[in-house]
Amino acid sequence: MSLFQRKDTLPVPPLDAERYTTVCQYCSAGCGYNVYVWPEKKSGTARSNAFHVDLSKQAQLMSGFSYTETMHNVITRKNGHKYNLAIIPAKESRINKGDYSIRGGTNAQTAYTPTGHTRDRLKDPLLRKENGFVAISWDHAVEILATLTKSSMDKYGSDSIAMKFYDHGSSGLGFEDNWGAGKLFLSGIKTHYLSIHNRPAYNSEVWGSRERGMHELNYDVDDARLADTVVLWGANAYEGATVFYTEHIMPNLQGGSIDEKKKEFASGEPAEEGRIIIIDPRKNATTTVSQDISAERVLHLRPNLGTDWILANALARIAWENKWYDSDYLQKRTDMATFEEYKSKSLELARPLDAFLADAEKITGVTRKEMEEAAAWIAKPKEGGFKRRTLTLYEKGIIWNMKNYDQVAAIAQLNVLTHNVGRVGTGCGRLGGHQEGYVRPGAPTPGSIYAGGPPKNVDNYITGGGGKLYWVGATDPYLSTPNSKFFKKSVKKRAADLLDYLDNGGIPSDPKAYIAKVLEAFEKTDGLFMVVQDIYMTHTAEDAMLILPAAGWGEAVDTSINCHSRLLRIYDKFLDAPGEALPDWKILALVGNKIKALYEAEGNKEMAERFSGMDWKTDADVFEAGSHEFGDNKATEAEEARLSAECYKGVTHKMLRKLGNEGIQTPVRQDPVTGKLVGTKRRYKYSFASKDGLFKWYGTDAWTGYPAEVAKYINNPAYPFWFTTGRSQHVWQTMYNDKRIPEKLLTLPLPYLEIHPDDAVNLDLKTGDMAEVFNEEGSCLALVYVNDATKPGLVFGLMYHAKGTMNNLISSYTDPKTTIPWYKGTKVGVKKYTGKLDDAIKTVSLLSNNNVTIQ
Amino acid sequence: MSDLSRRKFLQTTSATALLFFTGLNKDGHAAPVKAYPSRKIGNIKNLKVNEPLTFNYPDESSPCVLVKVDNQAVGGVGTEKDVVAFSTLCTHMGCPLTYNKGRLVCKCHYSMFDVSRNGQTYQGLASQWVAQVVLRVDAATGNIYAEGVEGLIYGRIGNLKIS
Repeated sequence: MSLFQRKDTLPVPPLDAERYTTVCQYCSAGCGYNVYVWPEKKSGTARSNAFHVDLSKQAQLMSGFSYTETMHNVITRKNGHKYNLAIIPAKESRINKGDYSIRGGTNAQTAYTPTGHTRDRLKDPLLRKENGFVAISWDHAVEILATLTKSSMDKYGSDSIAMKFYDHGSSGLGFEDNWGAGKLFLSGIKTHYLSIHNRPAYNSEVWGSRERGMHELNYDVDDARLADTVVLWGANAYEGATVFYTEHIMPNLQGGSIDEKKKEFASGEPAEEGRIIIIDPRKNATTTVSQDISAERVLHLRPNLGTDWILANALARIAWENKWYDSDYLQKRTDMATFEEYKSKSLELARPLDAFLADAEKITGVTRKEMEEAAAWIAKPKEGGFKRRTLTLYEKGIIWNMKNYDQVAAIAQLNVLTHNVGRVGTGCGRLGGHQEGYVRPGAPTPGSIYAGGPPKNVDNYITGGGGKLYWVGATDPYLSTPNSKFFKKSVKKRAADLLDYLDNGGIPSDPKAYIAKVLEAFEKTDGLFMVVQDIYMTHTAEDAMLILPAAGWGEAVDTSINCHSRLLRIYDKFLDAPGEALPDWKILALVGNKIKALYEAEGNKEMAERFSGMDWKTDADVFEAGSHEFGDNKATEAEEARLSAECYKGVTHKMLRKLGNEGIQTPVRQDPVTGKLVGTKRRYKYSFASKDGLFKWYGTDAWTGYPAEVAKYINNPAYPFWFTTGRSQHVWQTMYNDKRIPEKLLTLPLPYLEIHPDDAVNLDLKTGDMAEVFNEEGSCLALVYVNDATKPGLVFGLMYHAKGTMNNLISSYTDPKTTIPWYKGTKVGVKKYTGKLDDAIKTVSLLSNNNVTIQ
Repeated sequence: MSDLSRRKFLQTTSATALLFFTGLNKDGHAAPVKAYPSRKIGNIKNLKVNEPLTFNYPDESSPCVLVKVDNQAVGGVGTEKDVVAFSTLCTHMGCPLTYNKGRLVCKCHYSMFDVSRNGQTYQGLASQWVAQVVLRVDAATGNIYAEGVEGLIYGRIGNLKIS
């Protein structure tokens, strides 16, 4: 009867089971987990077990201990023996308190097993030959890659090497792998054509805040429970950073944190149930769940696509007019010289308020009444004159909006204007997607167009015929890059050109002959040698020449921080990587050390030196090596702003193992008095992260309409719908794990489209149909859900899915100030698909995921 | 004995109380092993669409719901295959689930399960689908019997392992 194999019993770990602490491999929340491993044939009992929980009785609700079907697996270690694996949400973690999401609850299912869901993990280095990929040794793989990289650099320059590599924690193995990638690509190869996993360039997505002197991770999870108002701006917290919403925002909205507020607030200060402002064109589940809890304490603003910075400036102008700011704070903590520019360009104080707000209404589609209410909820002092405490979190709805720099800057400035940073219950920054763990040598492009930028667009470089060798690490740009159809077609052609050349006369098996022929092809064709380093075969890897098998989460020791507390913890190794797979840092070091040896053999000391410092033996060595990049961290509490947000200098793996789920919050400073390492709970109480410690204001651009890449569709009747994208609660990124887990693939079998009932009627569409979504960039076939999440005239698509990407509908526009794409907006046509419906629709739920109210 | 063969075994008996048969436990001692009981939980003639009946199964500490939905359901019984039953303990953290128009809704964290689609979590936090009760309808009388559970009931290491 069941659609897949179910369990009705679970094994229990004996008291002597191996125990490890880790953190979820998925979202920015970074829930703590405890891991138990024990021989398959051994068992604890209901009353005596390593969980130290009495399992003989029916558990009580919300006990903080959960052990479900999806939290168990049977693994085989390299010794050939089978072991039970249980990965359990940690009750003692202050991040999740035993709670977990639909993503994290399946951590155990992602463990490699030779016969289970993950059996097709990459196990050997693979080289493309005439008939497909063949396994080769690491020695040969490293020789080929190192020699090609060096030879290409020598002949065509460092910029002939392009890379696209993850820069984060959690699923990407944090500080260790990032230091490895930084040493090879930034110190060694020194190419300008670097790009980060999810975008075409090497940049911060929030230079609009950082260049003001404010790093985007400046708050603590506690602030979400202590805020008077939480603002979620283009940030779908319930579906994207789920446990942060359910454990920290939701209790605030329910009034469950009033006692905590009373303890933390000033004497006599009102402490009430929290309010929430959700700024999102879509009525997603974050909105409907919040409304179901308390409709009167939820404000939902639905701006037109691309207009949020105009809205942020309008809210700031209303706060200014009402004098909801603290002049003393502005003068002491912010740069009053640049403030004039902000007043002139962003607040437009020279224009009458009515005219300014009338324009803002027209551009954003948000009414003045809504703007006034939102501004009051953010900034109007509470009874008794106490400053309101507002925590504002934005994410991809802002970052991947039109005009990335101005969007981020406008929100950062609204919050500093109203002193909603550096106080209990405040903060302004990212909700985050993944966790973080960035430590690398300095990037070639330090900032936006105002600070030495913008960085190079690597997609344009590659699609335009640039580069010889393109190294892709743990990302699948065929799905994830903007204008992905064009990107895929271009790369495919260049890969085919190279293969055609190699194929002519046969692809040599001997590494030296192979290398010689590739170098010939570099000279005679525009071919591209693509290297993909990943844990599974990806869409992109199908066109690679060389594939390198990497270790995944739990298969190497790593360290990362979460986004909502910058909590640094250890993610211990409890699994053996499949086959010959190696941690990314080790792969990068093998190649780096080989290039060094090649230069040494030539007597080229200068170049050999560039590739030095990669001779790490253990994960702990890499972690320690990276820490020196942070410089001296001797600082008092009041000097914390000068420390890098992720500074962990002095912290060791050993120390983190001892701290377990407690961790330590970055930036970690060495106290000048005690000499002890101290974490930082919340940032920017005393100063900002600029040279003089003052917040630097910026005058945003005026509204100038849409960029040409999207404006071409306006007034074109073939493309009547505005189109935006987002993620699903169920799956992580490209579904690289989830498409192998039956619960996930059955529930999310296809890319899907949400459309408003009014539009659906006109197109004869109903839930469970399929529709073609198309424009001049690309098209996608999608399962249809008709619901009220979108407004009439706006459709929403799942950004990408293992079976199809909607990023091929997205234009190649990037913000000229930062090279960040506008992934979240374009225009499309939609028509009903009249072919045979996919069989998966027979078993998928067709209920609307934003309808949470019991009727 | 597998769950399936255990159910077949039970289907051939008229037992409505808990049945026991003997097996060897891990220490090699003979010990009684519980099997899923067959228990009458309603009659198909009395069910109305979207009007759920509650019952406990396989024991008193496991609340469940029996419901007729308005479409053919995975694991459904009856002529329209539209009668299903589920555990009403949320598989996320054990909160009570409320039946509402084809779905089970948890008010603790808003996990929602589609009862026509095998109890799949179509929204929310529960990584495990809710446990579905195996049903049999006696053609002659219309009586509905619960005869097994597919999937783990929340808060247990085994559906039949509660002391």
